[in-house]
Amino acid sequence: MLRLSLPWRIIIFSLLIIYFIVIATPFGVLFTNSFKSMREIYLHPFQLPEEFSIENYTKAWEKANLGPAYINSIVISVCSIGGVLLFSSMLAFMISRYQFRFRRFLYVYIITGLALPARLAVIPIYVTLNQLNLIDTRIGLIFVYIATGTAFATFIIKGFMDGIPREIEESAMMDGATPWTIYWKIAIPLTKPALVVVGLVNFVNVWNDFFFPLIIISSRTKETVPLAISVFFGEFSNQWHLIAAALSMSIIPIMIIFFIFSKNFISGITQGAIK
Amino acid sequence: MKVKLRYILLFVVPALVFYTIFVVYPIGYSFNLSFFSWPGVGEKTFVGFENFKNILFGTFSEEFFSAVWHSFLFFVANSIFELGLAFIIAIALTSKIWGRRFFQTMVYLPNVISMVLVGFIWSMMLNPQWGLINSFLKMIGLENLAQPWLGQPETALPTVIMVNVWRNIGFYILVFMAAILNIPKDLFEAAYIDGAKNHHIIRKIIFPLVVPNMQTLAILIFIWSFNIFDVVYALEGVQAGPFRSTDVLGTLFYRTAFGGLGSSAQDYGLGAAVVVIIFVMVIPLSMVYANILDKRSREA
Repeated sequence: MLRLSLPWRIIIFSLLIIYFIVIATPFGVLFTNSFKSMREIYLHPFQLPEEFSIENYTKAWEKANLGPAYINSIVISVCSIGGVLLFSSMLAFMISRYQFRFRRFLYVYIITGLALPARLAVIPIYVTLNQLNLIDTRIGLIFVYIATGTAFATFIIKGFMDGIPREIEESAMMDGATPWTIYWKIAIPLTKPALVVVGLVNFVNVWNDFFFPLIIISSRTKETVPLAISVFFGEFSNQWHLIAAALSMSIIPIMIIFFIFSKNFISGITQGAIK
Repeated sequence: MKVKLRYILLFVVPALVFYTIFVVYPIGYSFNLSFFSWPGVGEKTFVGFENFKNILFGTFSEEFFSAVWHSFLFFVANSIFELGLAFIIAIALTSKIWGRRFFQTMVYLPNVISMVLVGFIWSMMLNPQWGLINSFLKMIGLENLAQPWLGQPETALPTVIMVNVWRNIGFYILVFMAAILNIPKDLFEAAYIDGAKNHHIIRKIIFPLVVPNMQTLAILIFIWSFNIFDVVYALEGVQAGPFRSTDVLGTLFYRTAFGGLGSSAQDYGLGAAVVVIIFVMVIPLSMVYANILDKRSREA
């Protein structure tokens, strides 16, 4: 950690304030515009709105199909994160705790997925889903997310499990506990911090993903939030007051979640890249 | 510990099946598909290396190489800003400065917003008539710099790249911060006692110890630059306008595989061939990356 003299402190602090302004301004402009009328946006783009009416919000919520989109996004995120956490922690437990043939190969095979641009293989994914009759279904999307989330989850959870002492598990095994009991009753409770981190990182990835819904989902009743917004953006181009309201409604929840869990987010991000 | 085979299967198979079916098998299948011409329905026609010829030397090559070039520019600009600038900001944020925690949180905020939504937000900021960017330039007396940033070929790609950097740089700052905070405090103490100045410490202690992270991040930036799609889609559409000046491999690939008005060709086989060419460049690096991680976890 560097020590700074007072003048340097002031210079760097000012630069960081400027950087903060660069980050915050687009959000500020978005939120203020979301309360204005079209006319106001064109005439006074940077003043506070004349009145804070929520009319834009109610209109945009309906026209952008955000109600169903929210439900879809929640269902898809929760199911795919549940799947990723369960299957990846099982796999990580096996790799971390037991000796068996091809163990190392299996591990490297899985974590190669950390750095594969998975979305490029979308044509075969599309064809495969089509053969399974899963095109334009939420289940199909969930399957894809479970698969693409596996590498990161296994990597983080396995790394965390490696650091947990084995004594309790070994004595449980002596007492005749099955691997499943050891996994579920002993390993999982101890791994909770890693599961929280993986869950959050995955949640943001799945919630924000636009590419796979764009390809896989075609019915308006099944679209996710980013997809709904992008359809809305295309249909209502130039109705900036409604677009601003729709965009605000789509980013506020994730911002709140981020501010609540920012510590966990940050540790998750850095572990993934540094370890 | 030893374990019975059926337990190995029980624990390994679910994750392995999903991962193999939807991540690994599609990559292999892309290779197979790249030798066919297939509009998506009906019979596939075997065409040998025809798709590759078309992409590399044929009618499709101009579009392809222009997209490759733009993706490469993305990679270069991202490396400079997301590694260089992020490193500098990370040093600032790990010094004793007021409001460190607050800045650290704010820096990462844009990263949790969907890239496509970030694109839409910035298209408001960049609106030629009432967008903040042009109004700001006019306000400080730089009227002649105000321009339709996204509407002209010379400025469109740099603008799209800057929006991408605006959203993603937080991740790199956090990684560098963690790396810097990992450096033992005694090293700094000892350097200060020996009378070292801050710029010495940055060059001789911080930089060398952060270089390994830079290398892995550079690999990731390279790989991820082929993933770029959302930001271009949101700001310039699938046609990657104006006049394809922002076309990257992601959007080119989307048009060849799934069409979109005015696409020069639409064919799953051709799309797969584009992907195969990308994979040939990327997969060796992915494997290098996985091996680096595996080695580090065994040393730790």
